[in-house]
Amino acid sequence: MQKILWLFAFITSWTFAQVNVVTTYTYLGEIAKAIGGNDVNVKVLASPKLDPHFIIPKPSLIPTLSRADMLVANGAGLEIGWLPPLLKNANNPKIAIGSQGFVDASQTIILIDKPVSVSRAYGDIHPEGNPHFSTDPHNIVPIARMIANKLSNLDPQHQSAYQNRLANFTTQWNAFLMQFDNKIHSCKGKKVVQYHQLYNYLLKRYNIQAVATIEPLPGIAPSSKHIMEVIDTMQQQHVHTILQDPYHEKKTASFIASKTGAIVKVIPHDVGNIEGTDSLKTFYKTIADRLCQ
Amino acid sequence: MIKKIIGLSFAASATLFAQSDLEQLKTQLAQQQRIIAALQQRVEELETKQTSASAAATANVQTPTSTFDQKSFLPDIALILNGSAVGRNVDNSTYESYFIPGFSEFDPEEESEIPYNKNRGFNFNYAELAMHSTIGPYFDADAVFHLHPDEFEIEEAYITSRALPYGLRAKAGKFLSEFGRINSIHQHAWDFTSQPLAYEAIFGAEGLNDAGAQLQWVLPTDTYLMAGFEALQGSNDVSFGNIEKNNLYVGYLKAGADITDNTTLLSGLSIAHGKNEEGLDTNVYGADLTFKMMLDSYSSLAWQSELLYRDKDTSEGDHDQAGYYTQLVYDYNQNWATGIRYERLYKNLVDEPNDLERTSAMLEYKPFEFSKFRLQYAYDRSKIFGDERKNISEILLDFTIEAGAHGAHAF
Repeated sequence: MQKILWLFAFITSWTFAQVNVVTTYTYLGEIAKAIGGNDVNVKVLASPKLDPHFIIPKPSLIPTLSRADMLVANGAGLEIGWLPPLLKNANNPKIAIGSQGFVDASQTIILIDKPVSVSRAYGDIHPEGNPHFSTDPHNIVPIARMIANKLSNLDPQHQSAYQNRLANFTTQWNAFLMQFDNKIHSCKGKKVVQYHQLYNYLLKRYNIQAVATIEPLPGIAPSSKHIMEVIDTMQQQHVHTILQDPYHEKKTASFIASKTGAIVKVIPHDVGNIEGTDSLKTFYKTIADRLCQ
Repeated sequence: MIKKIIGLSFAASATLFAQSDLEQLKTQLAQQQRIIAALQQRVEELETKQTSASAAATANVQTPTSTFDQKSFLPDIALILNGSAVGRNVDNSTYESYFIPGFSEFDPEEESEIPYNKNRGFNFNYAELAMHSTIGPYFDADAVFHLHPDEFEIEEAYITSRALPYGLRAKAGKFLSEFGRINSIHQHAWDFTSQPLAYEAIFGAEGLNDAGAQLQWVLPTDTYLMAGFEALQGSNDVSFGNIEKNNLYVGYLKAGADITDNTTLLSGLSIAHGKNEEGLDTNVYGADLTFKMMLDSYSSLAWQSELLYRDKDTSEGDHDQAGYYTQLVYDYNQNWATGIRYERLYKNLVDEPNDLERTSAMLEYKPFEFSKFRLQYAYDRSKIFGDERKNISEILLDFTIEAGAHGAHAF
């Protein structure tokens, strides 16, 4: 009798085995949780408080990757500075690039800002295009769909659960997008300056003009000459808003604001990035609130 | 028959109710028409898009020159350059004859093996060509060609497995052993320009770099635990060097954990067991500890230490010798870093001085991720020239660039 019980326990534990999903950034983790529900166990590698380009490839991240069944990466080169050495050391063919378990979210997105010519003379550019599509909530459903399809392939037993969750999520998200669109349309037509080209997807969708960046080239710290140019441009074009990410220094933005009378708005770029952005909805709601305040 | 009657009665009742609902229906109809019009417009838009896409596809078909194009299979290629300007209180011909008492000897017959910053004045240390490529689903290939002005050297060339299960990875070829912390790291990624004294004394200027095979296993635990084993030829003639057959074996265990969200730790224990030139046993033991605190995205404080202990059997008896370094590096931001290192050797021989030590300090400026300039000062009390012990003061300014497709460095 006991043997049968043990066998039963073993079988159920095997049937209920969760898919280990690892995502590079928190917003991808939130999507994976929404689609995977109880059928997956989600872990996120990068701390949302840090610059997504410069995550330290801590050895403590290796065991997480080495036991993953699926890895969801942002892609478009955003992880190029830290994920490859971790992946190499994790020795896990299940999530190797090109395998069933590797998901590149950027493949569902039509990337913008693809550079016409590629050279490091232009700073830290991404030849594939701008990788910061997480700031536009319209990019969430395509990623959710991709994750649902990948999960259905990996774990066909729970295919209907994944597809149902996707359907629910899509309905809810589309309703949320209506609110979001209404909110942002109310502040349409503004011109802004940003630190890095972090919000381009959002700005482009809502026809908000990004006039300049505080950094002279991607990944290059602002020089005084460039700062003066930004101030001039802002004065000429009557720009009153500076979008600041939470991880770069804020002194330069404050200085420019003091010279131009503009307002500095700290806009999160990922879930959990600043206080009160612990879910996808609160994250995008914070973006909308702060952008239109 | 009954069906017909029911249908008729439905129709009749519908007409009756229709009168009162006519207005409502009219508005609904208008709404439906609007929706249909909008949908039609979308369909038309999509159709035009599709036609233009297929037109573009047809246009692509007309360029058959790329049919057998293999450009996308080219390996990642990187060029690494390092050069320096050196000021030193010892002239060049004297400096070439240095040795570390109890560890190395100077042989005037042989060419000096000082790999970096040999001359007072200008040095061009090396140009390094690094390549990486995936060779099918099962292997990756890597090669590093180290080019001196008058020497070509295959520093590393090896294949690595891609598809082994259970957290295993195998490597074969010529490669830098992962003994200790710094041995497998190339000079361009070091925090200080010079190799730690303990490594120079025990493994020589090239470190432990040999032909052989490696197997590494990441244990299925929550904390990072990695066990590695290497079988090498043993051609390192400073501690080993008996190459009648392959007889150097290296094993190590590495562990890493986060202490807090921003503080991480990596530690390792290593052993190298082989035969020296006299055919007797040499064992080298290593212990390392790295502690890194991230202050923000661009700023961190790292403390790194390593201890090497060598037990070398010779015809004159057992030599138990050791050396360590400890260093503190502060990355102020993406552009600036500074650090200090202290090193000491214990040669455990009675006839000569035992206070062999060196202190270094450095200031690093990185205009961009792939280029750096480093100003380094070192006060070195570990060298002997002929019969004379002389302390070396050295100031050095060097540059390092990484051009092309160079993979990111590990922790």
